[in-house]
Amino acid sequence: MKGYRKYFTKKIMWFFITLIAAVILNFILPRLMPADPVSAITGKMASGMTDASAVQEIYKRYEAEFGTNKPLIQQFFIFVKNLLHGDLGTSFSQYPRKVSNILSSAILWTIGLQLPAILVGWLLGNLLGALAAYIRKGFDKVLLPVALFLSNVPAFGMAVTMLVLFAVTLKIAPISGGYSFDMIPNFSWRFIKSVISHYQLPFWSIVLVSIGGQAIGMRSMSIYELNADYVKYARFLGIKDRKIVGYVFRNAMLPQITGLALSIGTMISGALVAEIIFSYPGLGSTMYSAITAADYPLISATTLIITIMVLIVTFVLDLVYGFIDPRVKAAQFDA
Amino acid sequence: MGKVMLEVRDLKTKYVTRFHEDVYAVDGVSLKIEEGKSLGVAGESGCGKSTLALSLMGYYFPPLHYISGDILIDGKNISGLDPDVVRKTILGTEIAYIPQAAMNALNPTQKIIRFVEDVVRAHDPKARKKEIRERAEARFAELGLPRTVLDKHAVELSGGMKQRTVIAVSTILSPKVLIADEPSSALDVTSQKMVIKMMRELMDKGYIKSMLFITHELPLLYNVTDDIMVMYAGQIVEKGTAREMVFDPIQPYSHGLMGANLVPEDGMRDTKPTAIPGTPPNLKRPPKGCRFAERCRYATEECRTHSVAERPFGEGRMYRCRMSVEELREVYKDE
Amino acid sequence: MKNMFRQIFHSPKFVAGFVIFVIILLTMWLYPLINPGNPLEMIGVGTFARPGTYFSLYDAVDAPTETLRLSDADDKRIDASMSMEDRVAMVAWFEQAGVDVGDLDITDTDALLDLWRANYDSSTRLPGMTNAKRNYYKRLDRSIQSMQGADKYSVMHKDADSGEMVERSTINKTDYVNVAQVVNVKTLPLGTDNFGRDVLKELVSATKTSIVIGLIAGIVATLIGLTLGLLAGYVGGITDDIIMFITNIFTVIPSFVLLILISYSIGQEQRGASVVAIVIGLTSWTWTARSVRSQVISLRNRDHVNLSKLSGHSLVRIILTDILPYIASYVVMAFILQVSSGILAEAQLSLLGLGPKTTEVPTLGLMMNWAMLYSAHTNGSWWAYFPVILTITLISFSLNLMNTGLDQVFNPTLRD
Repeated sequence: MKGYRKYFTKKIMWFFITLIAAVILNFILPRLMPADPVSAITGKMASGMTDASAVQEIYKRYEAEFGTNKPLIQQFFIFVKNLLHGDLGTSFSQYPRKVSNILSSAILWTIGLQLPAILVGWLLGNLLGALAAYIRKGFDKVLLPVALFLSNVPAFGMAVTMLVLFAVTLKIAPISGGYSFDMIPNFSWRFIKSVISHYQLPFWSIVLVSIGGQAIGMRSMSIYELNADYVKYARFLGIKDRKIVGYVFRNAMLPQITGLALSIGTMISGALVAEIIFSYPGLGSTMYSAITAADYPLISATTLIITIMVLIVTFVLDLVYGFIDPRVKAAQFDA
Repeated sequence: MGKVMLEVRDLKTKYVTRFHEDVYAVDGVSLKIEEGKSLGVAGESGCGKSTLALSLMGYYFPPLHYISGDILIDGKNISGLDPDVVRKTILGTEIAYIPQAAMNALNPTQKIIRFVEDVVRAHDPKARKKEIRERAEARFAELGLPRTVLDKHAVELSGGMKQRTVIAVSTILSPKVLIADEPSSALDVTSQKMVIKMMRELMDKGYIKSMLFITHELPLLYNVTDDIMVMYAGQIVEKGTAREMVFDPIQPYSHGLMGANLVPEDGMRDTKPTAIPGTPPNLKRPPKGCRFAERCRYATEECRTHSVAERPFGEGRMYRCRMSVEELREVYKDE
Repeated sequence: MKNMFRQIFHSPKFVAGFVIFVIILLTMWLYPLINPGNPLEMIGVGTFARPGTYFSLYDAVDAPTETLRLSDADDKRIDASMSMEDRVAMVAWFEQAGVDVGDLDITDTDALLDLWRANYDSSTRLPGMTNAKRNYYKRLDRSIQSMQGADKYSVMHKDADSGEMVERSTINKTDYVNVAQVVNVKTLPLGTDNFGRDVLKELVSATKTSIVIGLIAGIVATLIGLTLGLLAGYVGGITDDIIMFITNIFTVIPSFVLLILISYSIGQEQRGASVVAIVIGLTSWTWTARSVRSQVISLRNRDHVNLSKLSGHSLVRIILTDILPYIASYVVMAFILQVSSGILAEAQLSLLGLGPKTTEVPTLGLMMNWAMLYSAHTNGSWWAYFPVILTITLISFSLNLMNTGLDQVFNPTLRD
C-alpha cells in the first residue's frame, strides 16, 4: 500500500507541476512576442472607427481587462487570482458576455463528442489490430495498408469527406451544428433526437481517424506478444488457444492505454479542427470564431481549457494504467 | 527393470523456415526412460536438443512439423493423435514441459493462481476454484515455495522464484514425464542448486515418474540424471549412464564436449560452450557421411562418404562412430 | 552502409512510400515547367469553375467550321435544356389526358419525348385545365420543336462608325469547330477556386510550400531534440534532470495549443510561411529529445565510447564519431515523422485562420481554409478541397510508410 501512495503522490505532484507550467505558458507566451498582441487587438477593434472616444473606450476596456499598465509579475498574480475564481475575463466579440459563460457550454459539447468518439475509436482500433495480428494472412494484408492510409487522413479531411458524402450528397445527416438551428436547447424528445442526428457525422469521423493509428500499434504489439515465451509455455500445458489469445489481447492492450495517453493531445487537436468543419458548438468552433473576431480573452481561455482537459485525461489514463497493469506496478512502485 | 514411462522410436521432425526450407532438426532419435529414472541430453546449441524437447510433446504448431516416428508414454502411443485430444488428455497430465527461459514463461499480467486455474481447467473444466487453490497451496508448500506466491503476478517474483514457480505449475497435475529444457542455465549458482534440488524432490515424492533434462553443460548432468545422451546435428551420438559418460566418453564428439567443459577457463565457457573447432553442419542439407566428420580430428575419407549407424556396446551403452571402442580408447590414450 | 541501403530498399513498405513521395516531388518539379506562371494569378472572375477544357467562345466564332450531321445531336440538346419542372409537367399532362405512362422514368428523355410526340396535340382541351396552363404546354411543345428544327443563331457585330448591327455570320445546329483550331483554349484539370485561380497550379505550388514548411519544421525540431537529447543522455546528472523536466512538461502540454498561442501572438503580418514552419518546429521536438536521450544512455557506457574517452578525444568528437552514427537511424525516423506532422500542423493552423500570410504563396492548409470559407464543401465544388485532402493524406501516408519500413529494418524484433 505504501508503494501505491508514493506512486500516486508522485503522479499528482507531476500533474500540478505541469498545470502550473501550462498556466504560466498560457500567460507569458502572448506577452513575450515582439508585437504586443493587446495593442494589435485594439488596433483591429478600432479600425474603421472614426470616433476617437470610442477608440479610447476600447483602450480603457482592455486596460481593465489585462491591467497592462502594471508590472508583468503583478499581472500574473491578478491573472491567477481571477483564474482561481473561475473568472476568465470578458469576451471582446460577444461583449459583455463572460468568457467562462461562453466556454461552459462549449466544454460540454466537446467532451460529449470527443470522449466517446476517441474511446470507441481506440477500442475498435485495438480489436481490429488484434484480429489482424491473429489472423494474419489475407485479412492482415488488406487491413494494414487500409489502416495505415486511414490513420494518415487528417481529421478535418475525414470530416469534410463524411460531410460531403452523407450530408450533402446522400442527405441522410444534417450539415452543421450540434442541433437543429430552429431549436432552443431543452430536454424535449425532439431536441434530443436532433442532437443525436447531428452527433453522428462528427462522432464517426473522429472514430474513423482514431481507429487506424490504434490498429497499427495494437497489431505490432500483439504480434510481439504472440511470439512471447509465455504463449508457447501455456500451449504446452494444454491451455486452449482461445484462452491464450485472451492473455495476448490483454497484455498487448494495456500498453495501448499509454499509447492513448501519449497521443491524446494530437487526437484532441485534430478533433477540434474537425469540429469547425461541422460548426459543432464545441471548443474548436469557439476557438475558430474567437480567432476570426480577434477575441483575445476568449482565445487565451480556450487554449487554457484545452490544455487542462488534455492534462486531466493524461493524468487519469496514467493512473488507470498504473492500477491495472501489474508490470507498471512492479516497475514503478518499487522505485 | 522398471516400467517404461517414455519411449521414443525413430522420431523425425523438421522446422520450416520463412523461406519454405526444411530444417531437419530431429533426425531419427530413439530413447527410453524407465519409471523413476531420469535422462540427460547434452549438446551444443543448435544440435536439436531443444527441438527434441518440443517434439516429444506430440503437439506441433508452425514452424515445427512432425515427419515420422512414435512417442509412447506409459505404453500409449501419442503420435498421430488429434492435436486437440493431445492438448486435452496428454499435455500437462501425461507429459509436462519446463521451458528454457522461465523468466518470460509466465504471463506477466496474470496472478499465478489464475494461471494454475487455467491449467487445471484445461483438462478438467469442472474443477472448482477452491479445490484448485487448496491443491496448489499444498503442492507449493511441499516444494518449499511460499504460498503467497500464488497471489502475486509473475513480474513481482525474482528470477529464481519464477523458475521454481514454473516448475511447480508445470507439475501440478503430476505428469508421468517431465521435459526440462535448460531449466537452470540462466540462474545464479544458488538458484541453480535450488532448482536441481526441487527436481529431485519431485522425483522422490513421486509427483513426476520420469524426467528428461536438457542442458549444454554435460558435467551438470552428472549430479542430476541417471543416464546421459549426447546429441549432435539432430542425432544421438552416444548414450550411457551418467558416470560412464562423464568419465569414459567414447565417441569423439562427446569426448571433446566433456573435455571442453572440464577446462572451465575464464571467458571460454561464456563465449562458446565447446572448444571443438568448427561449426555444426547445416541441417537444411545434412551431410551424406558421418555428421561430425568435418570437425572430427580422426576422420578419414570414408567417414565423409559413409553414414554410421548407432552401435551398441557395454551394458546398454551406444555410440555412433566408424571406429571401434578399442580403437577410440587407444587414440585418446595417446593424447 | 551499402548493405544497409540494400536492406532498406528491400522493405516493400519503404519502397512503396518512397515511390509515392518521389512521384509527388517529381510532379512538384515538373508541372511548373509545363504550366509556368504565378500560381496565385486570378484567371477566373467567377468562383469555382468546374474542371474541364475551356475554349474562347469569341474565337470559336472565327474558327473554320465543319458540318457534321449527328443523329443524336437534337436529343442531347433537348435533354440538356429540359428542366425537371418541364418533365414533371409533361407527366402531369399525360395523366390528365389519360395516357398510360407505365413505369416511365422521367429522366429518360427519349422515352418521354416519344410519348409526348405520340400524344400531345395543342388543340385538345383537357377538362379543368386553365388557359394559362394550356399556353404553357404550347410553349413547351414549341421550344421542343424548335430545338429539332433548322433554327440558326446570328452573330451580330456593332459597326464602330455607324453604330448599326451588322450580321457577321450565322451558326447552324450542324456547325462544328475543331478545338485545336480555336486560338484560345485553357484546360483546367481541377477547375478554379473561389478566387478564380487555377486549382491544379495552385495545388502543385502549395504542395511544394507545405513540404518545405514540413522540412523546416522537421529540421528545427530535430536539431533542438537532438541537442537536448545528446546533452541529457551523455552529460547526465543535473543537466539531464533539468532537460527531462522541461521535456516532460512539453510532452504533456499539447503542442497544438502552444502553436495557436504563438501564432496568434505573432500576428498576421509577421506570419510568413517560414515563420510558421519554425514555430511548428519549436513546439514539436520532445519526441526526438526523448528517444535520442534513451539511445545515448544505452550507448554511453559501451566499450567503443569508453575507449574514445580514455584516448582523450573531445566531447564533440566522441559525439560525432562514436554516438551519432549509432543513433542516426532513430533521428532519421523521427525526422520523417516530424515532416509529416509539420505539414499537418500547418494545415490545421490555417483552418483555424492562423496560417501563413495569404498574399505570398499558397499552402495546402490555406487552400483548404479558402475552400471552407467559401463553402466549397456544401456547394459541390469538390475540386477545390478534395485534391488538397488527398495530397496531405498521400504525403503523410508515404512518409509514414517509409518510417514503418525503416523501423522494421532497424528493429528486427518487429519484423514479421
